[in-house]
Order: sequence, then C-alpha cells, then structure tokens
Amino acid sequence: MAKIESGMDAMVDMYIFESNTLLEQLDEILLRTETANVFTDEDINEIFRIMHTVKGSSAMMGFENLQLLSHHGEDMFFMIRENPGKIKDSRFIYDLVFRMSDLFKAEVELIQNGGDYVPTDFSDTIADLEKGAAMIRDVQNQPETSTADSPSVPASTAGVPALPRDENGMSVRIFFQEGCKMEHLRSFLLLNKIREEAHVIDYEPKNLEEDPNAAATIIENGFIITFDKEDDNTVTNIIEKAVNIASYEIISAQENTSAEPTPPPIVEEVSAVIETFVPTPTVSSAPVASPPPRSYEQAPAQQPAPNQQINPGKQSIISVNLSKLDQLHDIVGEIITTETMVISNPELEGLKLESFLKSARELKKLTDELQDTVMSIRMVPLAGPFQKMNRIVRDMKVKLGKDVELKIEGETTEVDKSIVDNLNDPLMHLVRNCMDHGIENNAQDRVEAGKSAKGTITLNAASSSGEVIITVSDDGGGIDTEKVLKKAEENGLLYKSAREYTEREIQNMILLPGFSTNEVVTEYSGRGVGMDVVRQNIEKCGGTLTVESVFGEGTTFIIKIPLTLAIIEGMEVEVAETIFTIPISAIKESFKVKGSDIIHDTQRGEMIMIRGVCYPILRLHEKFTIDTKIVDFEDGILILVETDKKNVCIFADRLIGEQQVVVKPFPPYLNRYNIKGAGLSGCTIMGDGSIALIIDVANLIEGYQ
Amino acid sequence: MMAVSNQAYANDKLALRGGSAVGHEKDEEITKALTFALGEQVYGIEIPYIIEIISVPKITRVPCNEVPYFIKGIINVRSKVVPVVNMRSCFGKEEIDYNEKTSTIIVSMDDISVGLIVDEVLAVLSVQQKFIAKTPELNNVNNNKFINYILEMNDGIKLILDIKKIIFDHDLMLRGE
Repeated sequence: MAKIESGMDAMVDMYIFESNTLLEQLDEILLRTETANVFTDEDINEIFRIMHTVKGSSAMMGFENLQLLSHHGEDMFFMIRENPGKIKDSRFIYDLVFRMSDLFKAEVELIQNGGDYVPTDFSDTIADLEKGAAMIRDVQNQPETSTADSPSVPASTAGVPALPRDENGMSVRIFFQEGCKMEHLRSFLLLNKIREEAHVIDYEPKNLEEDPNAAATIIENGFIITFDKEDDNTVTNIIEKAVNIASYEIISAQENTSAEPTPPPIVEEVSAVIETFVPTPTVSSAPVASPPPRSYEQAPAQQPAPNQQINPGKQSIISVNLSKLDQLHDIVGEIITTETMVISNPELEGLKLESFLKSARELKKLTDELQDTVMSIRMVPLAGPFQKMNRIVRDMKVKLGKDVELKIEGETTEVDKSIVDNLNDPLMHLVRNCMDHGIENNAQDRVEAGKSAKGTITLNAASSSGEVIITVSDDGGGIDTEKVLKKAEENGLLYKSAREYTEREIQNMILLPGFSTNEVVTEYSGRGVGMDVVRQNIEKCGGTLTVESVFGEGTTFIIKIPLTLAIIEGMEVEVAETIFTIPISAIKESFKVKGSDIIHDTQRGEMIMIRGVCYPILRLHEKFTIDTKIVDFEDGILILVETDKKNVCIFADRLIGEQQVVVKPFPPYLNRYNIKGAGLSGCTIMGDGSIALIIDVANLIEGYQ
Repeated sequence: MMAVSNQAYANDKLALRGGSAVGHEKDEEITKALTFALGEQVYGIEIPYIIEIISVPKITRVPCNEVPYFIKGIINVRSKVVPVVNMRSCFGKEEIDYNEKTSTIIVSMDDISVGLIVDEVLAVLSVQQKFIAKTPELNNVNNNKFINYILEMNDGIKLILDIKKIIFDHDLMLRGE
C-alpha cells in the first residue's frame, strides 16, 4: 500500500501511538535485562506479547513489511522462550532486537509523516532474525536429536506471512443450539466479536456470509476458529457470553491443520501446552464429542488458565488528543471568569443573600477543583524522556568504548505535556555531550584522578516553587576554563578583556552559538551547533539553561522551566487604566521611594541605588505611552525585576495584587506586529472580564537598553 | 464551529455570484447582509461572516508602536481575546466618541476574529441580484478598496464590505487613509 487511505487517520494515529508505546516498553525491558544479563520468563513473555501485538496491528493496518519484521522478531523470541538458558551469544540477540526496534520506530515515523508512504524493505534484518532464530534452535537441537535436520523448518514461513504458525494457535469448535437458524451468520457475528479482542488466525468454514451451505457445514461439523493461544481467556469468555451456543470445545492445533508439517520439537511443546488446556486428550472430530473435553457447562470451573496474561483490551489509560484538552482548559477558564461575574454581579449589591452566598461558595470550591483536575490532566511525568536517555547512553557506550552508568532520579516529577515534547531533543543533546565531552576518554585517567573507572551521568528532576529544575550532570573532567577562553578568543566571542570574565561566565560560553572545543567532529556531537540550539530550544518553552562545572570533578547542566506554560503566577500592576501582569518569577522586590533617592544620570536617565547597586528605572507609562497622573516616584511604586542578564526597576502607579493568570496569546490578527519585541508576551482575562497585558521582562529590558 | 459552516455557505454564494450569476433569478435572495452606518454612509456586511453584535466593551490598548492607529486594542468576548478596529479611522473618517448606539460587530474568517466598531447598526436586508449595481470601476470612490459590491436600493446606496480584505489585508488598510 503506497498511500494511507483517507478516513483511516484516526486508526493510523492509534496505531502509531500504540506501536510507539509498545516499542518503548520493549526498549525498556531490553535495557533492563541487558544490564542484569538475565532474561526472566516474564520478560520473554512480555517481549513476545509486544511483538505479537505489534504484528497483529501492523497486519490490520496493512503494513506488510512491518508485519513481516515483527513476525520474525516474534519467531526469534519464540525460540528463546522454548529454549530457556541456552542462548550463547546474547549480545548478538540484543543488537538484533535493538536494530529491529529502531527500524520499526523509523518506519512508524515515516507513516506518521504521511504523504506518499513507501514501505521499506527489511529483508536484511529479517534474514538476520531468521539466522538468530535458527542459531537458538540449533543450540537446542544439536545435542538432543538428529531430527533437527528435518526439512520442516519451523516458523520461517516467509512466503505466507498472513498465516502465523500453528504452534501458537489454538482452536475451538463451536456448536449452536439446534434449530436456532442462520448458523453461518451467527458464526460470522461471533467471529467479528472475537476478532475485536483477540487475534484470529483461521476459521472454518470460510465464506460465511456468502455461502448458504456454510450453515449446514456448521450444523454438522461445528464452527472452528483458530486463534492465538494467548487469547484463550478472552475468546472463551466471548463464546460463553454469546447467545444460542450449545457447546464448545477446545481442540488441538494439529488436528485442525494437520496438513501442514510441524517440526518435532515444537510438536512436543504444543502438545504439552494443550494438555494443560484439555484435561482429556481424547478429542474427536465427531459433531458431539462424548464427553466434550471442555463443555460450556463445566468451563467456568476451569477458568483460571495457565497463561495469566493481562487482557490488552482493558486499560485504565486512554489517550486524548491534546487539542481537546486545550479546549477543555479554555472552557474551564471561561467558567471561572463567568462565575466571578455572576457572584460579584453589581445587581446583587445590598441584597441579603444568605443561601446564595452559601451556594456560591460551594460552586467556587467545585470550580477550583475542576481547574486543578484539568491542569493535572495535562501534566505528564518526565519518566518518558528520561528513560529514552538509557538507550542513548547504551548505544554511545558501545561506540565510544566508555564505561558509563546512567542514574535517573526524580523521574516522577510532572510537567506540562507541551514542555515534555520540547524537552526530548535538548536532553538528548546534553546527555550526548556528557558522554562525548564530559566523561574522560580514558578510564585510566579517571582512576588516576581518584574516581571510579566507571563514569556516571545523572539525570535529576525536581520541582520547586513553580519551576521544574532538571539537571544533567557527569562526573567527568569538567570544563577547562582556560581552554574555553582561548577558544572563545579565537572565535571572536569575547567582548571584554579576557581577565574580566568570571569563571561562571566562561563556563557558560560553551552555550554560545558557534562554540565547540572538541577538535574532532564525532558522530554524536562536536559540530558546535549543539549547545546553543539546546539553549534556544529550552528558551522556546520558557526555560533557561546554565552550566556549572568544577574542573576535574564534573559538569552540571541546569535546565529551569516553568511548571506549565498556560498559567503563571503574576503580580498585577496598574498604570492609569491599563493593567499589566509581571511574572512573579522575575520580581525581586517592590518598594516605595522618595524623590531624593533618585540619581539622575545625563546618559542613562534615572537610576536608583539599592544596597550599593545602581539600577536603571523604566517608567512603564513612558515606555507604553500611557497618560497617567502619577509621574512622581513618591506617588507610584518601583518593582525590581531581574532576568538572567540584567536588572531594572519598573515604575508603575500601584500594585493591585498577586494572582494566578491564564496566559493567552495575542489574537492572530495582530501577529504581524512585533508586540513581543515591545515587551509584552501575551494577555490574560481578569476576574472582572477586563484584559491585562503580560510583561515579558527580558524583552522589555532589551528594548529599553 | 458555526462560523466555519457559515463561511462555507458564504463562499458558495460568493462563487455563485462571481462566476455564472446568470442562472440567478433577479429577485432570488443571494444572501443576507447587515447594514450599519458610518456618518451618513450606509455599509453592509454579509451575515455569514458575522459572529455577533455587542456594544463597545472596555478596550485594552495594545501599547506597541507598530500596531496601527485604527486597531484600537483588544476586548474580551466571552473569554476570547479579540482585536477591535475602528471603522471610522479605517475609512479615513474622523473618530467620534462612543455613544449608546455605537456597536461592535464581531466578524470572523478562517478562525480569525475581528471586532468592527461602527456608529450604528441598522437592519438586516436581503441581497438580491437585481439590487447589485453594475459598477465595476469604483476606483475613484474613497475607501472603495474594501467594497465588494454596491447595492442600489430604494432607500439609498449600500456598500457591502469585502471582509477578507478587512481581516487579511492590513497594508491595504494602512493605505486606506
């Protein structure tokens, strides 16, 4: 299929989401087991289940190449499962499965990008997977039996990918109540129901809908469905709940598909499995087996099947389109604004409203709760992006030949979904940088410096007062300030004399555009575009990036980002009729002054000295050309604000108060005008319905100087 | 959502009119238009573009030098922030103080909403082929740039505005004076 049909968008979305989630799970298991160097049965089963689900959904979506790929992955893990503890070269297996997972992810991304999707050919990897499966099988077969050479090689039924192996299947024969009519259609409906929940491999008779003889066949021989044995519980449940079914019995896979050869070792296994399902191995093909091995009546007693797999159809998590959440968020904002309008309606003034006020309080409580809940829906833990770093460390460890351990702390810290999406790239760059530049190239150097030979990279997240602080630190060589300074000089990045730079300033030079100390450009980093792009990305989502380093002991990158983009803690200030909101995080203090405290500078205008430091004063009414009566400093108020670069004192008429505000962007009609450059980042609707303008402190100062 | 379907409807009608309007009966209604006054002149806006009509709420000026004089600021329309344009200064007329008749007509196209401040909202009328004046060359008339077509009716001339130009063509508006 070259193109994804329109109308399938929702399904494709779901498929992409599911596949990505499963593949991430797969990576996680692989990384964990690789570190522990042991595959528990549970892990293998889980991997097997993931492969199987991916295969099923790929088949459903018609992505044959992906189906084939996961099919062979599944095959290999089938072999691993059947031959526990006999894997000789686990490295080979890991590399293979990682490769498969990467290819799969890349392909899913291709699908996601839409347009003309051309399926990639995975035959190389498939061949390797087959080799892997064969290798594991041979390990098992050689010492045991000579039948291993038998021509009937299992599983690699590459020619018929749509029909997975029988040994994984399980069949059930269903009889309908006598005289219930239309057996073929009933079978068809039942089949569809089972298909919704389970993976149906085959069924008999075919052509249920069209062939009128099908009904007769079903009455005589029963309706046979072959499904994945992992779905045993699900399918039996469905059958038991269906109406007009007289009885059903589980029959072995071989009986149904005896025409197809099955390799000896597998047969043993399958029979063993089937024995656990079917207490009486006497399975007859007669319409009514006497006694039926597992009849409708006695089924519930035997319900707990050996395979206690969770039912993938039932999840306590649903995925929601982010735009719907945004919509919900907007509505909640509207409700809260409207609530204030109703409760503090001027027409209510002077009325005695005891029960009204009581109800109003109740309403307020509920809307507050509603707002909190909506906000919390948008919050996701950082575990996702953090876990992804495991993979990067693992790959780079192998390529760079450095022994490094990744420690993850505080991954349960939650931030707004939109921020998490923007964090993946910066985090990846920082971790790569730590791996490549941070950790010493030579383990010997580490030992000599009194450190353990194994390097450590730590990812940490913690929230503090409306901010999330994420640190990426390594215990490597640290930043050589002399080298950095020299490099900066060569690249012409210095704007004052080299001696005037503080250590911190020099360290932060590595975040400047066009800076790279690494002589060799490696595959991972060193092109000198990385760090400033990282910084820009973080600044884009309202955060900051700084570096702290002790030479010889290590480097720490500190990312500070607001908890959520949509809501900020703001201080409302008034200039005549206009209300401005200054983000609390930028405010250091506010104070009243006497006119005599002001220093008049002929070049830089008005300044004020606070605790020995001179700060320039920015009059808001002048900056935004607002007519106000308050022009004397004694009548107004000064607010000292700070961004990473500069401090400035803002002069306003008066403070109104502190309030949490929902940030709204300026309407798109105004996009063509550079309002942000003027020092305004957005607006917010206040409780009384009026609009306040949110000040962007960094741009305000920039524009002022 | 309503706005979108309304627009689709409007586009349909416009296409009919622009292309082969021949098929139209002379007295068949093409669309409806809301008329408003700016001084003595009567203008109209096709109904499908109109979201609602409100009085003039408190306008918050956007204090940025780049924002042109005719954009008066932003208003809160049921928790949506909408910019407002004074149609008088947009058409090069002198601005007057807002009174109880002054109205804001919220129009929308492609999810972009703008409030238009007008002197007075008058009526809704039926636009019919027979009223549309055959005056393709309007270039001498002042502020014709925003006029889509002209209706010649018994009670006078009505200039039907081209909302697309008002919403998207800022440069045209800047030259409008």
